[in-house]
Amino acid sequence: MIEVNGLSHEFRIGQKGKEKVVPVLHHVDLHVKQGEIAAIVGKSGSGKSTLLNLISGYIKPVSGMIRINGTDVTSFNEGQWADFRLNQMGFIFQSFQLIPSMTAFENVELPLILKGVNEKERQKQTQGMLETVGLLEYGGHYPGELSGGQQQRVSIARALIVHPPIILADEPTGSLDSDNEKELLAFIQKLNRERGITFLIITHDQEVAQIAHRTIEIADGFVMEGESVYEVQG
Amino acid sequence: MKFKDRYRFVRANMKKNKTRVIMTVLAATIGCAFLIVLASIGFGIHKTAIKDITNGRLMTEIEVHGEKPFTRKDIQKLDELKNTKTVTRKQIVENNLTYHLEKYESRSETMVADIPAEKKAGFELSRGRMPIHKNEIIVGYDFAQGLAKIPDEETKNLSEKELQNKLKESQYKGDLLGKTVQLEIQQMKGKKIVKKNFPLTIAGIGKKPSKQWMLNESVFISEGLLKDIERFTKTPRGIMNLPENKPIKMDYNVFNNVKVYTHTADEVEGVSKKIEKMGYSTYSAQNELKQINVIFLIIKIGLITVGTVAVLIASIGIFNTMTMAVTERAQDIGIMKAIGAHPGVIKKIFLMESSFIGIMGALIGTAIAYLFSYGVNLILPVLIEQFFHEKPPENFYFSYIPVSLPLICIAICFSVTLISGLRPAVRATQVDVLKALRRDI
Repeated sequence: MIEVNGLSHEFRIGQKGKEKVVPVLHHVDLHVKQGEIAAIVGKSGSGKSTLLNLISGYIKPVSGMIRINGTDVTSFNEGQWADFRLNQMGFIFQSFQLIPSMTAFENVELPLILKGVNEKERQKQTQGMLETVGLLEYGGHYPGELSGGQQQRVSIARALIVHPPIILADEPTGSLDSDNEKELLAFIQKLNRERGITFLIITHDQEVAQIAHRTIEIADGFVMEGESVYEVQG
Repeated sequence: MKFKDRYRFVRANMKKNKTRVIMTVLAATIGCAFLIVLASIGFGIHKTAIKDITNGRLMTEIEVHGEKPFTRKDIQKLDELKNTKTVTRKQIVENNLTYHLEKYESRSETMVADIPAEKKAGFELSRGRMPIHKNEIIVGYDFAQGLAKIPDEETKNLSEKELQNKLKESQYKGDLLGKTVQLEIQQMKGKKIVKKNFPLTIAGIGKKPSKQWMLNESVFISEGLLKDIERFTKTPRGIMNLPENKPIKMDYNVFNNVKVYTHTADEVEGVSKKIEKMGYSTYSAQNELKQINVIFLIIKIGLITVGTVAVLIASIGIFNTMTMAVTERAQDIGIMKAIGAHPGVIKKIFLMESSFIGIMGALIGTAIAYLFSYGVNLILPVLIEQFFHEKPPENFYFSYIPVSLPLICIAICFSVTLISGLRPAVRATQVDVLKALRRDI
């Protein structure tokens, strides 16, 4: 499903001409199978978020290859990435990344608007998705009027609305309390089980790692011992 | 993303910062109104000039002038030209003639015209009918104004104003139609003046001239009557022999005041060229219009260019507003890009917003310009009369807005706002997703 071969990346820091090159990832190889929940763990600054950003297409790698769902996305341009993200990927962020001036309903509806789905169909699907995440009665609320857990559920609904085969999550429980965290993890497992969605989760939380089929540790830009350090059966 | 959804996005975004959007629209409105009002002055004067040239004249008319008087053969040649509708010609009676009606008299210009050709060219009567008999005539609409009788003694010591008043008082006020007037023709017999009266009946009265100052006191007589006059004077067209001059040999049956009429105004140029090839010189309102149109086109382009500067200034406001909007919405743009918004979609949203501001400004500006134009044409003549004690010229347009002007303005405004919105829109597509998600922008 997600195949990463020899992926390297570096950041250039400082003024132009006097830039300092900071390597972040070194020849990373990674393979996430369809229907798998894979967790990438590592210390802060280990390069795990950079890896996710490369797989999301937010940054371009210096070298290496990324293949998602059979498509080589390494040399995609911005437009191709946009279309690919819209149709193939769902995103869950630590800080939810909801548009504050839009209601929960409008935030969930947004990917369908971008896809050009007609209004009637959009409304039906959005309502259904809000019902799935248990927020139907909160559709008219703005993100600022919702709790952290509710905002994350809106964010999940937005990620699921286009039925993507892959969901990339960056510290999904980072802003949640323990109750909401448990609830979210259970929901991820349910989605994986019932809909076969592949999850690639970046976390430093052991509880999150516990639900993963496989945990991959990254340290100083290297994947420790191949791609898998230890395997946990969910 | 569908157009309807983009429109909703734009509307929602504009609502978020109403005051700023209103102020930007206001700037575009002022710029656009200024452009239209400024150009409308050029259009107004142009329209007045065109009306001045064309009023009372047909756009299909070509005046033909030659070195020699025109003969019947010449007229026939002109008539045979392709696209010629008709050729009118006149034979003016060159005599010290006088018309008498009761105690009134007039020295109106008298001529023979080809009435069927005149009718084809657009000659119309206000009352009565065309002449049938030799002694029937048609008089101009203002013939009565020329009919007056004032004793010389009374007018000697009058001032010009008093003379004008006296003339007005002494004008013929009755109905002329069907009346019999005496045409007095003179000729020198040796050193003596011999006079002969021809009784003539007024069969018809010509149409009122299109302008007040265009008085028409002329009289149309029949060809038969001209022959009677020539028989009496023994000269062509009743020319008077002067006592000291020997009789000059002159041609009968020659015409002057020759005009060629075409079917449409477009044919004037072609027919004029053909006539000029025949060795005649021509003059037409079309020729005059062509020159005037070129001059006014330059003036109007100049005015529109000056007006466009105002729109350009307004576009700076639009550029600022859009740049601010992109900066404010950088996080939203980042989120949209992160979940799969195509850069093209983001660009279109911002371009739509800037053009929306431009079009709103153009439409409101057009409405204001129309109101201003209407008000100026209504109030300015009154003010001029009030403060300068002078009447503006008849049918004078201070401001005129043809349909093309708002369309030009909207097109300019739309283009300018699109260009000014382009840079911010491109900037929006370049928003770094990661920086936006980290709230680093």
